[in-house]
Amino acid sequence: MYVSNLSLRDFRNYRRLDLELASSTTLLYGVNAAGKTSLLEALYYLATTRSPRSSSDRELVNWQAEGEAGALPFARIAADVQQAHARTRLEVLIQLRADESSTQRPQLRPQGSAQKLIRINRKPVRALDLVGQLRVVLFTPADLVLVYGSPAERRRYLDITLSQLDPHYVRTLAQYNKLLQQRNSLLRAWRERRRPLRGIDDELGYWDNELTAAGGYVLAERLRAVADLNTIAGTLYDTITGSGQQLAIGYDSSFERPTDTIEGAALSQRMLQSLRALRRDEVQRGQTLIGPHRDDLTFAVGGINLGIYGSRGQQRSVALALKLGESRLMYERSGDMPVLLLDDVLSELDMQRRKHVLSSIRHTGQQTLVTATDLSDFEPDFLQQAHHLRVENGQIFAL
Amino acid sequence: MRPAYSERPQLVVEPVARLIEEFSRLPGIGPKTASRLTFFLLRAEPELAHGLAQALHDLKDQVRLCQRCFNITVEEFCPICLEPSRDQSVICVVEEPLDLLAIERTGAYRGLYHVLHGHIAPLDGVYREHLKIDELIARLRTEAVDEVILATNPNTEGEATAYLILKDLVPLGVRATRLARGLPTGGDLEWADIDTLGAALEGRREL
Repeated sequence: MYVSNLSLRDFRNYRRLDLELASSTTLLYGVNAAGKTSLLEALYYLATTRSPRSSSDRELVNWQAEGEAGALPFARIAADVQQAHARTRLEVLIQLRADESSTQRPQLRPQGSAQKLIRINRKPVRALDLVGQLRVVLFTPADLVLVYGSPAERRRYLDITLSQLDPHYVRTLAQYNKLLQQRNSLLRAWRERRRPLRGIDDELGYWDNELTAAGGYVLAERLRAVADLNTIAGTLYDTITGSGQQLAIGYDSSFERPTDTIEGAALSQRMLQSLRALRRDEVQRGQTLIGPHRDDLTFAVGGINLGIYGSRGQQRSVALALKLGESRLMYERSGDMPVLLLDDVLSELDMQRRKHVLSSIRHTGQQTLVTATDLSDFEPDFLQQAHHLRVENGQIFAL
Repeated sequence: MRPAYSERPQLVVEPVARLIEEFSRLPGIGPKTASRLTFFLLRAEPELAHGLAQALHDLKDQVRLCQRCFNITVEEFCPICLEPSRDQSVICVVEEPLDLLAIERTGAYRGLYHVLHGHIAPLDGVYREHLKIDELIARLRTEAVDEVILATNPNTEGEATAYLILKDLVPLGVRATRLARGLPTGGDLEWADIDTLGAALEGRREL
């Protein structure tokens, strides 16, 4: 799939943009703070309904944005996604809420939320329905935290990949997180002795059943993805490093899972048993102690855990193998190549890794958007093949 | 909630500012709407304001909950409980009085009700003891009831509530049923959302 057209309005530093995109490689260059990353961010947002860099949607709305005819200030992202035989129009409107008076100077607008309106082919849909319509893989220098950062980063990597591939996954995960919050509040109430412990099994029963039903599915899908990624990314690591060594990705579950199956129903059953055995601990701690939300990934080469003992170079290779692996996995599962977004990653890589990335994106005919401040990072024949766009102050100029 | 004219309170006289503040405490009403309502009432005929004040007063003064089913009423019992022709052997359990009205509008139900006044929502601090569940169990012990219809909402909180009540019904030997989930009448399969269609498939029945 590829994005043939992107239009922005009051998104970050873009007041108005209407941009045709090539189905092959496009190079976006310009000085810092020109708007290169914001462009990738817009595409990432359309794919996942989230920004990779900010947690608050309201930050995405341009400071000078004004509503029309009494409407509230909003940002708009819209794109046409081309697939084999179909074109889909995706659109997100991010509107500031009414209780935040727009007469104040925008920089001083109080913290608050924004609401999202989402349309596919002009038909309003829910946020979850948008996920998976456009599939992207984003490479940023921050990917390194996948290897040495907190477990949450690694869970997010799996979740974002699977959510884009499987509509049932993204829904089940949302449901799981909601159930988890409810269950935790219930446990917290007991921990703080706000409620009698009588009937605790009956009261937790529903939440236990639902949480483990959703958790089993999430876990099963993650395990299946990790098995596939081991085949794909394991070999990629060898190619990137030329070390003759394979990367082994391990899935570390928070409870002892059955060794003979990765089938969802069996995992749910085991999780339910483990939850019941943990009743006392959970009430004491006031939270759910096991489940996909406490799991982690491990990366090892030659039996050595690279998250702890790896050199920066090794860690960078793992992050790269994971990202390229994500793209390959999406292709194998969906039969369609995702759009690659490379945000200023090449400058961070040494010659060999850079060469590997460039060659793996150049031969596939996959839509790829690369940002750079310095064109000397690229080889001449790459520069020749790519479409060049100059980004300057929230505007884009073709050469 | 921050008052609408907090920056320069002296601009608005106290009774007006107070009403604006009271209005903006209502759900769905922000400072702007609150001001608009207030100034509308200021200009309107006095009867309108007095009528509104009286209605508000009577609402809290006269309306109370039915001793038996906790529906809203002005007497000791609600009109439905007082109606002798209703089927006394079936109780339909709903979350809110508004749900009761929705079921009444169908005209398809002739039994009694029990209003829980909420649903289980640990996140919002609503637990079993905040709902009229013990009162329901007490009713089932004294009244000759054959069937309890659990008509809580088909969402997480509603399901959790139904599950908890079911746990209490089993030892009493009362038959429990749940409203069916599925496709809306006159609907189109093509336009049904995934969750609803999935529930309809799960709950399919023999013809």
